Amino acid sequence: MAKKLPIGNRVRELREAHGAMTQSELGDAVGVTRQTVAAIEQRRYSPTLETAFRIAQVFAVPLEEVFYWQG
Amino acid sequence: MGFQEKSAWVMLATLVLTAALYFYNVLSLSTADGLAPPLLPVLLVYTVILVVIAVVGHIAAALMSPKEANAAPDEREKQIADRAESQAGRVMGFLIMLSLAVYLFSYSGHLLFYGVFASLIIGQVAEYLLQIVYFRTASL
Repeated sequence: MAKKLPIGNRVRELREAHGAMTQSELGDAVGVTRQTVAAIEQRRYSPTLETAFRIAQVFAVPLEEVFYWQG
Repeated sequence: MGFQEKSAWVMLATLVLTAALYFYNVLSLSTADGLAPPLLPVLLVYTVILVVIAVVGHIAAALMSPKEANAAPDEREKQIADRAESQAGRVMGFLIMLSLAVYLFSYSGHLLFYGVFASLIIGQVAEYLLQIVYFRTASL
């Protein structure tokens, strides 16, 4: 089991709140693969700042509503 | 499984298979007196087989997911490739140094050639193996 990274996120929750958007659809919208979206949701990958902003933009929320420090 | 991981599996399998065939061939050509010299035709056949299997494997992988195959690697995939390449480079460097050290004791040019050649192959195998491990388990 890979260790979880300290940056938590609400990506999955926001996807589900946005008409059950799939990981592939979100990946296409921000320019990453479905596997990378899955890794972000599982806290196995911390996206670059640019991708983090893109994800927040897709959901039309501020960055801090998507990503937060969990330690 | 993403296309980059499929590609790593294809290359790993191709390298292991072709290296096994190559070194089996070298051993069968060798005698009790010593190693067979590196032969250009054998190397050419090895290279052609490697390229053909790799191309066919990648076409098969691309047919399974054409959309992903056309996309450039994303930021995570690039990071994984960079990390694997860096660590595999150390493995290859160490093995080449080892091959050079063996030469200093054996003065066998043939052994040096095979040692360096094997180092290159093992370095590449390590790179694809590490990529697969990172794709599946790593936290980046």
